[in-house]
Amino acid sequence: MLGGIIGPVGLVLLAVVLPALAAGVLRGLVRTSLLLTLPIAISALLVNLFFFPGGQQVLLRLGPITATAEGLEFALEILVRIMAISGAITLFYLTTRPQDLVVDLERRGVSARVAFVANASVQTVPAMVERAQQIAAAQRARGLDTEGSFLRRVRGIVPIVGPVILGSIGEVEERTLALEARGFTRPGSRTLLWWPPDSSSQRIARWGLILALVAIIGARVAGRLG
Amino acid sequence: MPELNLEGLVHVYREGGVREGGVRAVDGVDLRIGPGERLAIIGQNGSGKSTLVRHLNGLLRPTAGRVLVDGVDAARMTVAQLARSIGLVFQDPDRQIFAGSVLAEVEYGPRNLGHRGQKLRSAVETALAAVGLEREARTNPYDLGASRRKLLALASVLAMETAVLVLDEPTTGQDERGVERVRAVIEDAHRDGRTVIAISHDMRFVAEGFERIVVMHAGRIVLDGSPEQVFRRDSWSTLESTFLEPPLPAVIGERLGLGSTPTDASLIRALAQSSA
Repeated sequence: MLGGIIGPVGLVLLAVVLPALAAGVLRGLVRTSLLLTLPIAISALLVNLFFFPGGQQVLLRLGPITATAEGLEFALEILVRIMAISGAITLFYLTTRPQDLVVDLERRGVSARVAFVANASVQTVPAMVERAQQIAAAQRARGLDTEGSFLRRVRGIVPIVGPVILGSIGEVEERTLALEARGFTRPGSRTLLWWPPDSSSQRIARWGLILALVAIIGARVAGRLG
Repeated sequence: MPELNLEGLVHVYREGGVREGGVRAVDGVDLRIGPGERLAIIGQNGSGKSTLVRHLNGLLRPTAGRVLVDGVDAARMTVAQLARSIGLVFQDPDRQIFAGSVLAEVEYGPRNLGHRGQKLRSAVETALAAVGLEREARTNPYDLGASRRKLLALASVLAMETAVLVLDEPTTGQDERGVERVRAVIEDAHRDGRTVIAISHDMRFVAEGFERIVVMHAGRIVLDGSPEQVFRRDSWSTLESTFLEPPLPAVIGERLGLGSTPTDASLIRALAQSSA
């Protein structure tokens, strides 16, 4: 019954786990992608396991609800997909410096504006986390007891959220003005003084991935049609 | 009023910095701060001043050595417990302020300490009056200018009425009026018998407002004494090696052969005596 997920699992191993291992970020990858996907993964598992329409093979009966084998299979398929998406995105964040991304985007002709938006959104997250941590430290310095109690910690975090987001938006706005003051929106092309090195093995890997993507889409479409 | 004792304090930042073994921000500091003392810590950026004071209220824990608050090891107390006796005002108010109004911000600390009713009200009113924000109680902190936000951060810790007040760069970004307010706050706290510890880059401010100055360099204490001792000619080479300059009156006094005159007042006194 698990035939449907062997392919996707293999793909996750090959395209996410193996590169993460090679880059030495596997531990961070697992931690971050679990944190990101756990809530949605749990709900997807429960909903599909117990409420899959038309499931025949009953595995477990809990009062009015039943878990079916078909539901389990579908839930696992969804889980692998979530793993693939979150793993790939996390791997990208863990292995790509925002600065490299922006410079490379510009080198490939993407407008400086778009590149800046990409960079700002990537950089804002760690900045927000840092700001939140500092405000939390200041709260503790003013007597908020967070040690030991999860609920108390949450009580401290809730009022921080607003100012942290507003503060970060303010910071981006200020950075935008500073860039503007240095001629950011000047028309015409720019001279790049530096760009990230691009080895031939990276280029081969990239083309390989693009070909694989085309092949997978092709196979899916052919499968559907045939 | 508590006595603070740092014994062989070492703090190493593991994350980031020098790959082999992290950054040794505080490197073996012994320091005794008596009750009611006014102590200024000076030193260039990265000399370990902020790291040092964050050990006083437990926000950082020593890599080695101990911090004793009235003889009790701070390692055995939580930050919240230490906050009852040690109030720390951060350098950047925007990394401290979070409430929607000036009043709520100032109430936050004393509320956490369990103050309610009249006691809370009077602590908040006194703190707001001390920094001149009593008319802005309903204002959103983000509608205040940078200098007044800094004063708000100060008020929010003042309201906790802690026995020890630690100020990280209280005059940075302040206009002359703001600096005057900070001076008055320190003066009041001192008169109440509270201990005041301040980190500063403002030599004039520390020479005029503090009886004791500690100079830090690369995580160590290189000078410790009164303004007269720290800013006298013998110490200038040490100050220079840490990229600090003695205040102008100290230089003028030494050039005129009047001895160590770190403040305007002491220079004028020495000039009057020499011409008499």
